[in-house]
Amino acid sequence: MSIEFKRNLAVFREVVSVEEAEGLLEWLQKKPTAKVDLGACVHLHPANLQVLMAAKPVIQTWPTDAQLRVWLESALVAH
Amino acid sequence: MKRILIVDDAATVRLYHREILETANYAVEEAMNGIEALEKALQSPFDLYLVDINMPKLDGYGFLRELRGQDLPQAPAIMISTEAQANDEQRAYIAGANIYLIKPVKPDRLLTQVRLLLGDVYR
Amino acid sequence: MNPLLEQFLSEARDFLQGIGEKLMQLENAPDDAALMGELFRLVHTLKGNSGLFDFPEMTRVLHAGEDLMDAVRNGRVAYSRLLADCLLDAMDFVGMLCNEIEANGAMGVTHAGTSVRLVESLRQLMERDAAGPRHADTIETAEAETASGATEHPSASFRADLPLAVIPEAARMDAYRHAGAGHLLHWIAYTPSEQCFYQGEDPFFLARQTPELRWGCIEARDPWPPLAEMDAYCCLLDFCLLTAAPRAELEEHYRYVMDQVEIAPLPRLALVLPQGDSNGGPVYDDFATDARHLLATGDLVGLARNAGTMLELSNPDLWIASALRWLRLMLEIEPENRAALAVLVESLSRLAAPDWASIQIGTTGSAEHSEITRPSQPDDGQFVATASESRPMEPINQGQAMANGPASAEADALAAIVATQREILALTDDPAWLPGRIKAAAAALAGCLRVSVAPDALPGLETGLDAATTLALADNSGAALLAWLDGQFSPSLDLSDAEGAAADGSVNAEETTATMARESTTQAPLAPTPPPEGDGEIKFGRRAEDAIAGPKSLKVDQAKIDRLMNLIGEMVVAKNALPYLAGRAEAVFGVRELSRDIKGHYAVINRIAEEMQDAIMQVRMMPVSFVFQRFPRLVRDISRKLGKEVNLVLEGEETEADKNIIEALGDPLMHIVRNSLDHGIELPEVRRVAGKPAAGTLTLRAAQESDRVVIVIQDDGKGIDPDAIKRKAYAKGLIDEATLERIGDQEAVNLVFAAGFSTAEQVSDLSGRGVGMDVVRTAVDKVNGTLALTSERGRGTHLSLSLPLSMAVTNVMIVVSDGQRFGIPMDSVVETVRVPRAAIRTIKHSLATVLRGRIVPLKSINGLLGLDVAPKANADDELAVLVVRLGNEAVGLLVDDFRETLDIILKPMTGVLAGIPAYAGSALMGDGSVLMVLNVKEIL
Repeated sequence: MSIEFKRNLAVFREVVSVEEAEGLLEWLQKKPTAKVDLGACVHLHPANLQVLMAAKPVIQTWPTDAQLRVWLESALVAH
Repeated sequence: MKRILIVDDAATVRLYHREILETANYAVEEAMNGIEALEKALQSPFDLYLVDINMPKLDGYGFLRELRGQDLPQAPAIMISTEAQANDEQRAYIAGANIYLIKPVKPDRLLTQVRLLLGDVYR
Repeated sequence: MNPLLEQFLSEARDFLQGIGEKLMQLENAPDDAALMGELFRLVHTLKGNSGLFDFPEMTRVLHAGEDLMDAVRNGRVAYSRLLADCLLDAMDFVGMLCNEIEANGAMGVTHAGTSVRLVESLRQLMERDAAGPRHADTIETAEAETASGATEHPSASFRADLPLAVIPEAARMDAYRHAGAGHLLHWIAYTPSEQCFYQGEDPFFLARQTPELRWGCIEARDPWPPLAEMDAYCCLLDFCLLTAAPRAELEEHYRYVMDQVEIAPLPRLALVLPQGDSNGGPVYDDFATDARHLLATGDLVGLARNAGTMLELSNPDLWIASALRWLRLMLEIEPENRAALAVLVESLSRLAAPDWASIQIGTTGSAEHSEITRPSQPDDGQFVATASESRPMEPINQGQAMANGPASAEADALAAIVATQREILALTDDPAWLPGRIKAAAAALAGCLRVSVAPDALPGLETGLDAATTLALADNSGAALLAWLDGQFSPSLDLSDAEGAAADGSVNAEETTATMARESTTQAPLAPTPPPEGDGEIKFGRRAEDAIAGPKSLKVDQAKIDRLMNLIGEMVVAKNALPYLAGRAEAVFGVRELSRDIKGHYAVINRIAEEMQDAIMQVRMMPVSFVFQRFPRLVRDISRKLGKEVNLVLEGEETEADKNIIEALGDPLMHIVRNSLDHGIELPEVRRVAGKPAAGTLTLRAAQESDRVVIVIQDDGKGIDPDAIKRKAYAKGLIDEATLERIGDQEAVNLVFAAGFSTAEQVSDLSGRGVGMDVVRTAVDKVNGTLALTSERGRGTHLSLSLPLSMAVTNVMIVVSDGQRFGIPMDSVVETVRVPRAAIRTIKHSLATVLRGRIVPLKSINGLLGLDVAPKANADDELAVLVVRLGNEAVGLLVDDFRETLDIILKPMTGVLAGIPAYAGSALMGDGSVLMVLNVKEIL
């Protein structure tokens, strides 16, 4: 599993594949105050990204991958 | 029989052009890059050159500049390019090409150009 | 044409024909699910094939067709006449592309529009029907809508309001710097289709991999719905990107989604967009006045210094600070562009966005540079960008020339060549190779002269050309030749005028220069010689064929080889009658000598027949490379698409096997390789973390081992996780809880071959949709192959396929029961044993015996075939048991007696007998009798 769901935190690791999106969506529906840790993520399938965009969880840690971080900030940080 | 040198690193393209030219009764030789082409031309100059741009070792421009710098009977050269850069056309003429065609060159179109450049009439 | 492409084309034709036939059959049986499945498979496979080549237009159309058929197959869309028409149109288009590829070795470049239109009409069928199956009475309107939809092209014009201001200043400056270094900037708006996730696409990955990416952002297409209503797999993201890559490279990168991408050139000055708080800061009037002055006097160093000083005084968040930063950057990158600098200085003085529309932005760049053609709104930097139309060599417009038919095409080409030589001669540079260039231009002109003037006028003109060339070489300038050319016909004169002049027969002395004066009486203007009637068009394909003298290989219709195969089969059988004859000659007629002669001749005929059989087998043998050769490209494309690095190693490509075997190998191998790439080999970064080289290795190895060919597919990827497989198999109901507990790792790994097991939930065009490894097993089974899969977690997977070299000859064991002989294929025979009647037990009405500690169920072959006779025992009251393998289990067949094993040529049952599954086929025996070969799996 490239997303590990802790009590109130989803930890994304390495490459998060398209299959994860459904589970992520369900989890975020149940946990409206959930946070997300993207620190170890190097790529995520856009299905996951749009779930994050729609659910707007707090991003606790941004990716260490600088390029990915810029991309994700463009999508997840309100202008 | 007039001799034509095809200079291209892609075997498929060489084969493609060779077949077109041989059907029109030209003697065709091939070179895989500019260096090889230059060696062949120096040994015995050709009546026409069909030159690709991107090739290893020595590219089409380089080959033409070298060729035109030689004290040889100079023959027309057709430069064949992909559509990538519009600037190529001007560069090709500066380097010494006489005609600039864009891939893929249809057989009849290639033959028209070749015949005109070589002064061969349809009969 | 390369063998791969040739193969693709001939296969494509078969598929297209098959698709057409299936569609026709469906008209009569629209509810036939099997037919529908077959149709889907044909379209699917054809699409897969086309993806191996650079035919995005073809692939795009087939992809849409496949999606549509998938929807039909799953009942989401109803089959209709209209649908069949659309699909047939699409297949006609594909067929047309194939013809073009075959004729020209390449596909024309003019099909994008048609393909987009076809895709649209196919997709429309899907969307309209998604709500529910349509009825016949609505077809009319649907048709009309399709037609109107078909005329709409995706918007060619680019939207004017590029959100350039969103791009951070640093990124814009970086891109601007890049553009200053000679790169063209492009703006890309990428709108992936809503269904793209189902097609295995990852638009984000594609966007991230954009060549020369300077900046990008992701936006939601619409406001997000409440989470409870959200569909995570409906793509609602848009991507905007700024890149410094040339258009061709971008088109290549996005070629599979060209219909979803808009690429527009972006003038670099459009990025010069100061931002920030426009209130406050020092007083700027003096600076602006000074700056204008410094610019006017060309004191750029002073201007830069002043800008630097001002910048230090200003709060960096102010608009003016941003403008000053841009000014300094522009002074660095394009100090020679005074007009642009002036615009920025003006904007500084007004504290308003620079009015780039007031100058032409593309001035200093290449011809491809863009121009701003509409005044921009001063405050938000809106503008319209259009590519400049300027072409350095206007006459070389081949496309236009070709449109006018062959004769005029040649005339246009001639005019173009002359015009080009004129341009070349007019070049003002002075390179070392100039003399060569002049000579070459002269040579080109000489060629044009020879085709275009009357023979008697030629010598004079050639002398003139020579003289002008000598003059030009002496001057080391093309001018003299240009002058001569101008003398032939004025630069503005086009060829039709020249032709007109020729028709008049008028020879205008005024057109000649002094150089040419003495030839003026004999010269004729340059005019083309019209090609002879009817021979103007060269049929490339036909001529190419004519030119091939004495080909080394023959293409033979498979049916002819099959016929040879059948004939040699009969021959082998017929010759087997000779020993009988010899026996009869001796025993019945008592002519021993004749008998010996017959035996002698039999030996000769036997040898020849065997050699002939061998030779025919050889004809059918093909090297494994036939299948292997498609993989380098496939692996390259797929791994690139997945962002993986893979080294493909091919070994033993020269290994040969029967054509049927080789062909049967294609699809399974494709699946296995795709699986390896999809699920085996990890992404480079993941591999690095695991301490493996970034690039994975995928090995395809073929070798012959006695009478079998063994193909090994091996990767050094992450291997198969047996626990994951177990869980998945359990979840899918393929194994029960008890099995889940006791099953070993190796057994678990083999579950991937179980029907209905597919590890990928994700539907992609790589691993196919729901077509899993069970297909591989079925295909291998079909040709009597076996496969073995081993995997080590973290180390990789090793799959070995063992296939017979040839399918033509079947080795059977002959058994006798109820006085009849039957053949049993040897590959299903495990052993023959004689079991004492006493050792046979009845367990729950079934017979069984114990062989080496294992219970083997027994079935009487008579019973299975409906013969009401008990099996016969031998003198020792033992029953003959033929133990056969049925999957992983052994079953004993009770027969009366065993006979010899025999190589036979198995003929499938035909006619009414074809419907009897109990028989695999029949074979003719040496004595003329017919042997029925049982299909063991079916009768048990």
